[in-house]
Amino acid sequence: MPDNWGFVLAAYGLAAVVLIAYWRRLVRRERAMGAEHRPTVRRT
Amino acid sequence: MVRMVGGVTLVGLAAGLVMAFGVAPREVTQGNVQRIMYVHVPSVWVAYLAFAVVLVASIVYLARRVDGADRLAHASAEVGVLFTGLTIATGSIWGKPTWGTWWTWDARLTSVSILFVMYLGYLLLRGMIEDPDQGARYAAVLGIVAAFNIPLVHFSVYWWRTLHQPPSLMKPGPGTMPGVIVAALMVNFVAFSLLYVYFVAKRVNLLRREAEAAA
Repeated sequence: MPDNWGFVLAAYGLAAVVLIAYWRRLVRRERAMGAEHRPTVRRT
Repeated sequence: MVRMVGGVTLVGLAAGLVMAFGVAPREVTQGNVQRIMYVHVPSVWVAYLAFAVVLVASIVYLARRVDGADRLAHASAEVGVLFTGLTIATGSIWGKPTWGTWWTWDARLTSVSILFVMYLGYLLLRGMIEDPDQGARYAAVLGIVAAFNIPLVHFSVYWWRTLHQPPSLMKPGPGTMPGVIVAALMVNFVAFSLLYVYFVAKRVNLLRREAEAAA
């Protein structure tokens, strides 16, 4: 049977893209939460 | 702590790739396309694990009304849906060169699709109900009911005639796979399980902060 490396790369590439995208989403939301609740310092 | 788990996970995933491409041999019948197994099988393992955690956390929530259990169920369901989607997609990519088709409505593929849609529904249900206590209660009931589909997915290859092969590893009796392939699979099982723990820990933390902000 031929090796079909294209399918192997597609499967691993898709997995990498999906997992990295989810991780980035979590990190972005953490940062957004941090920015929303950071106390603002007023300069006088 | 979560950051440390993230670091260990990254090392585990790198080791998993080395095992899958550098150590595990080329499979005789399927050729190198069989290497998709090292991402496909650990993905479905994490999906089973995630939904089992949803089941236990949902029971705990209904029995004791602990907010932490509800957050764990929510986070675990989200990560479970992610890995179920990945299982379906990588399985479809693997199916094309080996079965000659991207998709077929056989028992395993159909039951895993139903599992995916049920937990997607679980997440939608949580998003639709405004009262958090009511949403948590309804989601917990669905989290328990949906878990009955997990054995159906796993044993579907025994109970019906399917194109999908029976499990080579998560089955009773002695294994039939060569030791080096089992070892490569085990490293990826551990790496994906760590990734599950890392994602769930981050998501639970985020849900806790969101709840605190809303209070």
